[in-house]
Amino acid sequence: MGQPAPVVGGRGLHVRFGEVEAVAGVDLTADAGQSTALLGRNGAGKSTTMRVLAGVVPPTAGSVRVAGFDARHDPLRVKQAVGYCPDVGGLVPRATPWEHLQLAARLRRMPAWEDRARTLLERFELGDVAHRVTAGFSHGMGRRLSVLLAAFHEPVVLLLDEPFDGVDPIGVEATLEEINDARARGACVLVSTHLRELAVEACTNVSVLRGGAQVATMSAAEMSGEEGARAYRGLLD
Amino acid sequence: MPTAVSSTDARPAPTRRDTPGRTADAVRAVVDVGHLLRFRMASTRRRATSLIAALALLGLTAAVAVVPAFLPGAGESGQAFDLLLILPTALAGFLILAVVSATASGGGRELIARDPASVFPVSPTTDHLGALLLAPLNIAWLMQAWGLLGMTAFAVGVDDLGTAQPIVVMWLTAGTAVAQVLAWTLEGVRRVPHGIGIVRGLTILFFGIALGLQITDQLLTAFDQVPTREVVVGMVSGFGARWVLTLGAIVAAFLIAVALGAVPATIASRRVPRDELRVEAGRYPARRTPRTLRGMLIRIDRASVWRAVPMRRGVAVLALGPGLVAVLGDLGWSDTMILPGLVASGGALLYGVNAWCLDSRGALWRESLPAPPAAVFDARAFVLGELLLAGSLVTVAIAAVRAGMPTSVEATALAVTLLVVTVQVVAAAMRWSAARPYATDLRSSRATPAPPAVMVGYSARLAISTTMTGLVFSLLSRAEDATIAVLLAVTMCCWSGFRLARTRRRWCDPSERARVVMTVAAS
Repeated sequence: MGQPAPVVGGRGLHVRFGEVEAVAGVDLTADAGQSTALLGRNGAGKSTTMRVLAGVVPPTAGSVRVAGFDARHDPLRVKQAVGYCPDVGGLVPRATPWEHLQLAARLRRMPAWEDRARTLLERFELGDVAHRVTAGFSHGMGRRLSVLLAAFHEPVVLLLDEPFDGVDPIGVEATLEEINDARARGACVLVSTHLRELAVEACTNVSVLRGGAQVATMSAAEMSGEEGARAYRGLLD
Repeated sequence: MPTAVSSTDARPAPTRRDTPGRTADAVRAVVDVGHLLRFRMASTRRRATSLIAALALLGLTAAVAVVPAFLPGAGESGQAFDLLLILPTALAGFLILAVVSATASGGGRELIARDPASVFPVSPTTDHLGALLLAPLNIAWLMQAWGLLGMTAFAVGVDDLGTAQPIVVMWLTAGTAVAQVLAWTLEGVRRVPHGIGIVRGLTILFFGIALGLQITDQLLTAFDQVPTREVVVGMVSGFGARWVLTLGAIVAAFLIAVALGAVPATIASRRVPRDELRVEAGRYPARRTPRTLRGMLIRIDRASVWRAVPMRRGVAVLALGPGLVAVLGDLGWSDTMILPGLVASGGALLYGVNAWCLDSRGALWRESLPAPPAAVFDARAFVLGELLLAGSLVTVAIAAVRAGMPTSVEATALAVTLLVVTVQVVAAAMRWSAARPYATDLRSSRATPAPPAVMVGYSARLAISTTMTGLVFSLLSRAEDATIAVLLAVTMCCWSGFRLARTRRRWCDPSERARVVMTVAAS
């Protein structure tokens, strides 16, 4: 009996915006019940890779399958399978968190969603602002709500792009809890970050990108401690 | 022997020489305007096109200011003299509309948007001067300026052209500067407790007085009393002491207003924008989830429109302003046909020409949701269409108070005009939104959906197309039956519908959509 196909599988992924090659040949696989960190400097191609996996940006070349669907030809199916927290903002400025959840629930055909929504709002300490527009939110509050929205429908693939950026310790804890819950129920989690320590804490595997290309893949344990810091530094230069 | 001040020594008080004076601050503010202008121009996408457009605008303005003076009848006793008689009212009208425009936009447009500006030491004086510079980049301002220049040229003829037009040009600049002072002052008032109510009260009072004068048939008498009559006398009195005095007084008013505007601008900048705060900190109780996907998409889009301060203010001004002008001007139904196009064009300029910016940074998240792209497009176009139609209907309803009962032909022509301009403007706006998206969040009452120079291009194109449509249906409303009007409306709706469908197909292409989404999400 062969190995089950990976939940996320990308081969020779290229994304080009005009003359800029944002992603230049990334190969990526991630399995169910695993959490993979995408590490790299700013501009390494992490966010663009995440956008391709979310079905938001079509790849220029290469093949990408997410939850069994081709991201280029069937982006709607991909979107049904994933939960995505974008790197910038990710919130409609003049809609409330509750309205974001209503929209997500409607589009994802979630019949009884209110209890889970309330639980998550409490977990991320956003219950008090559930009916305020997000334009008045602090950066950290916005990040917390973006993670919440990505995890809301318990997706098969959870894509978190810079989820810890500017988030307070309670928010970081709630995000780590969501990642663990997702892995426990068998979801495939990808976390893009430039914070090595948190990547090691949150994930089982690490993939390092540089200049739009993948330069290393290893277990999170290999990236931990002083030794891991030196190895990471070496991969970035 | 100590050679330097110790850290434990008391610090000397700053001397007068250490602290920059008001003159230095003013000079710095002016220099900073230059820096910001260069910054804006460097980020212009198509510089050659922008330069050609600017030159064309100047050329057109020069032509409008000169050519009518050489037309038959210019400067004579017939139509030209009639125009000369209404010139004082036109000058006053320019001032009033400049005040309304600057007040509605919270003090005028920004040289650099509020969020990016917050990291730079941009003073309120620089902000005020920048708003003053950008004020003419507005189709309403340009149309009025062209109207005044053209009227003056025809009214005075070749003989007085050289003395009249410098006064008109200075009137336009001084009027804009004075309007800016009033707009900053009202913005400052708006930001005190109960300030919003006070400004609304003042607006109602102003229009109430105007309506009262109209109802009691005293409006024309009031127009005859406006002090701008002296300005017109100065224009036609030849090159002499009177002319120098008139021009000098307007130049002085301009300089005083430019300098004075910095004061209310500074005061307003120190106060919290209460209406924006009310929207952002207000509670919006949960409502039942709509039964359909379409209903949910429309609800989110409506929230994005009606919870944005610039749109609320803009719609109010657009819906009420032209209607009140129609009442005061005693417009009949044929002339009223022009108004829906005007309102629809103005409505599209509030956000429609960059419709995807409603999602701002949330665009990426929205795009990651499993919604059919066509449904998202339909909801966005529908919400834009309903906003334009609602604004136009309010205007027509106000105009109807004075215009009375329309004939069946007039009613039909009006109905099809409303429909045609709405579809026409929605199709154009959605096309531009997809072709040239911009990153902007429309939080500030001064925000525009696209850079000011681009907005001039959009507004000119919308104004031309919708005014032409209005004029055609205005003519058809005088016909014996409405058959031609209906047939023409069907043809025009089909054409605009076809263009809208083509934009919709483009939106459904993932690569095209990704380009738009990533651009607007970068705000």
